[in-house]
Amino acid sequence: MEKGGLELEITELRLGLPGTEKMMKKRGFTEMIMTSSGSNSNQCESGVVSSGCDVEKANESPVAKSQVVGWPPVCSYRRKNSCKEVSTTRVGLGYVKVSMDGVPYLRKMDLGSSQGYDDLAFALDKLFGFHGIGVALKDGDNCEYVTIYEDKDGDWMLAGDVPWGMFIESCKRLRIMKRSDAAGFGLQPRGVDE
Amino acid sequence: MNYFPDEVVEHVFDFVTSHKDRNSISLVCKSWFKIERYSRQNVFIGNCYSINPERLLRRFPCFKSLTLKGKPHFADFNLVPHGWGGFVQPWIEALARSRVGLEELRLKRMVVTDESLELLSRSFVNFKSLVLVSCEGFSTDGLASIASNCRHLRDLDLQENEIDDHRGQWLSCFPEAYTSLVTLNFACLEGETNLVALERLVARSPNLRSLKLNRAVPLDALARLMACAPQIVDLGVGSYEDEQDSESCLKLQAAIRKCTSLRSLSGFLEAAPHCLSAFHPVCHNLTYLNLSYAAEINGSHLIRLIEHCKKLQRLWILDSIGDKGLEVVASTCKELQELRVFPTDLQGGGNTAVTEDGLVAISAGCPKLHSILYFCQQMTNAALITVAKNCPNFIRFRLCILEPHKPDHVTSQPLDEGFGAIVQACKNLKRLSVSGLLTDQVFLYIGMFATQLEMLSIAFAGDTDKGMLYVLNGCKKMRKLEIRDSPFGDTALLADVNKYVTMRSLWMSSCEVTLGGCKRLAQKAPWLNVEIINENDNNRMEENGYEGRQKVDKMYLYRTVVGTRVDAPPFVWIL
Repeated sequence: MEKGGLELEITELRLGLPGTEKMMKKRGFTEMIMTSSGSNSNQCESGVVSSGCDVEKANESPVAKSQVVGWPPVCSYRRKNSCKEVSTTRVGLGYVKVSMDGVPYLRKMDLGSSQGYDDLAFALDKLFGFHGIGVALKDGDNCEYVTIYEDKDGDWMLAGDVPWGMFIESCKRLRIMKRSDAAGFGLQPRGVDE
Repeated sequence: MNYFPDEVVEHVFDFVTSHKDRNSISLVCKSWFKIERYSRQNVFIGNCYSINPERLLRRFPCFKSLTLKGKPHFADFNLVPHGWGGFVQPWIEALARSRVGLEELRLKRMVVTDESLELLSRSFVNFKSLVLVSCEGFSTDGLASIASNCRHLRDLDLQENEIDDHRGQWLSCFPEAYTSLVTLNFACLEGETNLVALERLVARSPNLRSLKLNRAVPLDALARLMACAPQIVDLGVGSYEDEQDSESCLKLQAAIRKCTSLRSLSGFLEAAPHCLSAFHPVCHNLTYLNLSYAAEINGSHLIRLIEHCKKLQRLWILDSIGDKGLEVVASTCKELQELRVFPTDLQGGGNTAVTEDGLVAISAGCPKLHSILYFCQQMTNAALITVAKNCPNFIRFRLCILEPHKPDHVTSQPLDEGFGAIVQACKNLKRLSVSGLLTDQVFLYIGMFATQLEMLSIAFAGDTDKGMLYVLNGCKKMRKLEIRDSPFGDTALLADVNKYVTMRSLWMSSCEVTLGGCKRLAQKAPWLNVEIINENDNNRMEENGYEGRQKVDKMYLYRTVVGTRVDAPPFVWIL
C-alpha cells in the first residue's frame, strides 16, 4: 500500500484495518510508560496524540514494557512475595538465604550489595544484630561462630578462603554456625582445590 | 401473608439469607419492608461511599454482621494512589455510638488504623469475627487490642494486608482464660512471632479449625503446633524451611498423620521440597490447595504432591507447574471447580511455563470447572474455542496474556473469536477478564451473549467507542466495569447515563475520556460521584487551568445516595 508523505507511518503500531485513520489516536505501548511515570512534560499526554509522537516512542527499547504500572495484574502483596523468590534462583546474584544457629527464622540478603568480605561481615552483623560474625570471618579461629556457605556443588565451605568474586559466583546460601558444632559437620578442609 | 403476625413473617424471612433475595423481599410492600429491615442480620455494602453509617443505621437498626468494601479493584495493582480513601474509622465510630450489637466485621481494601481496632475491640461486647482482606494502615498494636479486649472472639482472619509489624507481643495479649478461637490467620505478618505464646494459644483452643502461620514459624514449631491441634481443617504453613534437621521432619510427619480432618493447605512461603512429602498421607482428603507462593518448589515436586490429591476442588498454583503438570491435574483432579495459575516471572522474560495447551487439557479433564484465572504467555483462538466447547459452565473466566496486544500466536489474528466462543457457550458467565489483541468485535460478542455478566475487566483492548457501547448496551446485569489503556472516550461514557444506576461503579484509566466529558456526565447524573484522580499534581486540575479537552488519566465513578464524600484527598477531584 502506497504511503505517501510521512514514511514513518509504515513503522507505526496499529491495531485497526489499514485505512482507518482513527487508529492513530491509540497510545503506543512505550508512550504509556512515559505517562505513567508521571512526567508532566510529556507532550503526548495532553490533547491530541500525534502519530509522530507514537513512532518516536515505538523506536525505544522494548525492555520498557515491563515497567507499565500495574501490569501484569498481580496484586501488590503477591508481587512482594514473588520478587523475593525470583532473586534467589539466580546463583551468585541477588538474594541468598542466611541462617544463624539459635535463631528460629532465616533472613535473606543481597550478596551483590556487598563489595567484599569486610562488607559482608558488617552486613551479617547488622542482619542478626550480633557483633561476633564479622570477627568470625576475619579472625577465623578466635571466635564462637564460623561462617560457612553452600556452594554450587552442594558442599558446605568455610567463607573467606576464595577471592570475593569467586565466592559470590558460587555461594547459594550462608550459615552462621557455632564453632562447637562445626567439628563434626563435614566441612571441606582449607586448601582443597575449587 | 398479611394475615400472619409479624413474628411469623419474620421467622419465614430468617430462611432467606442472600442479600439479593432480602433486598427483593423488602420491595414487596411496606409491611414486608418494615419487618425485613428490623430482622436483617447481615448487611453487605459493596462500596463504602455509596451510603453513610447514619443512613445504614436508620434502615437496619439491628444487624450483627457488616461487610464493607473500599477501594476499587484496580487498587490491587497500584493504580489508586495512597490516601485515596476507604477509611473505616467513621463507620466504627458511628456503630459504637449506636446500639448495634456488632458481632462480625469484614473489610476489603479499606484503611484501618490501630485507633479503629482499639475502638472496635472496646465497643462491642459480643464481637466475634474480624476478617480483613487487602487492608492497610494498622500495626500489630491494633491486633493486640483485639486480642486483649474481645472476650468472645472466634475469628481473626488477616488476608494479604499491609501490616506494620512491631514485633510486639500481640499473641500473648490473648488472656489465659480465652479458649474460643476458631480461626487464626496471620500469614501476612512479616516479623518475628512469639512461638511460645502461639503454642500456648493453640493448645488452649479446642475449637481451632483454621490456622495460617507466617514466615517466622519454622518447621519444628509447626510440628508442635499440629500435634496440639489435630482437629485442624485449614492449615497455612509458614516457613517450611528445613535446616537439614530430619528430626523435625519426622515429628511433622507423625503430627500430620493425626490430622485426619485437614481439608485445606496453603502457605509454603519458603519451602523445602523434600519435606513436602510429609503431607502425602493427608492429600487424598484435601479440597483446597494453595501453592501459589511456593516459588522454590519445582514442577516435579508439585506434581508428586498433586498426584495424591484426587478430591481437590480448588487449586492455586504457579505457572512453574507447566503444561505437563496441568495435564496431571487434569487427569487426577476430577472434582476440580476452581483453578488459578499465577506467573512466576513478572518481568515477562519469556519463560513459557504454561501455554494454551495446559488450559485446553484442564478444560478437557475437569468437568466441574467453573472458575479460572490463568496467566500465560500465549494463546490461540482455536484453544479458546475448544475450551468453550469443553466447559460451558464457566461462571468466572479470567485470562491474562502477559504481553498486552498479543495476537493469536499461530494465526496472528486478534483473539476476538476465541473470547466470543467463551461468552457464547458459557451462559452463566458472571465475571470475565480479557487480554491479548482484541478489536471492537470481541465487545460486540460480549454485548450480545454475556447476558449474565456482572464484572468485566478490560486492558489494552478495543478500537473505538463502539466497543464500550456494545458492552454498556448489551450487558444488562453489569455491575462493575473496569477499563485501562483502551481507546474509549466521551461518546461511550455519555451515551446512556441511566446505565450507571444499575451499575455499582465504572473505572477508566489511560483511556480517551476528557475532563469536559466527565463534567457533562456529572451534570447529567447528580446521583453519581465522578472522581478524577490526578496524582501528578497536588493542586486541583481546575486551578491549573486544565481545559475541557484535557484527557483524564484516571476516572472512577459510582452511584451513591449520600453525595460527594468529605474525606477526598487533594489529588481527587469530585465533579
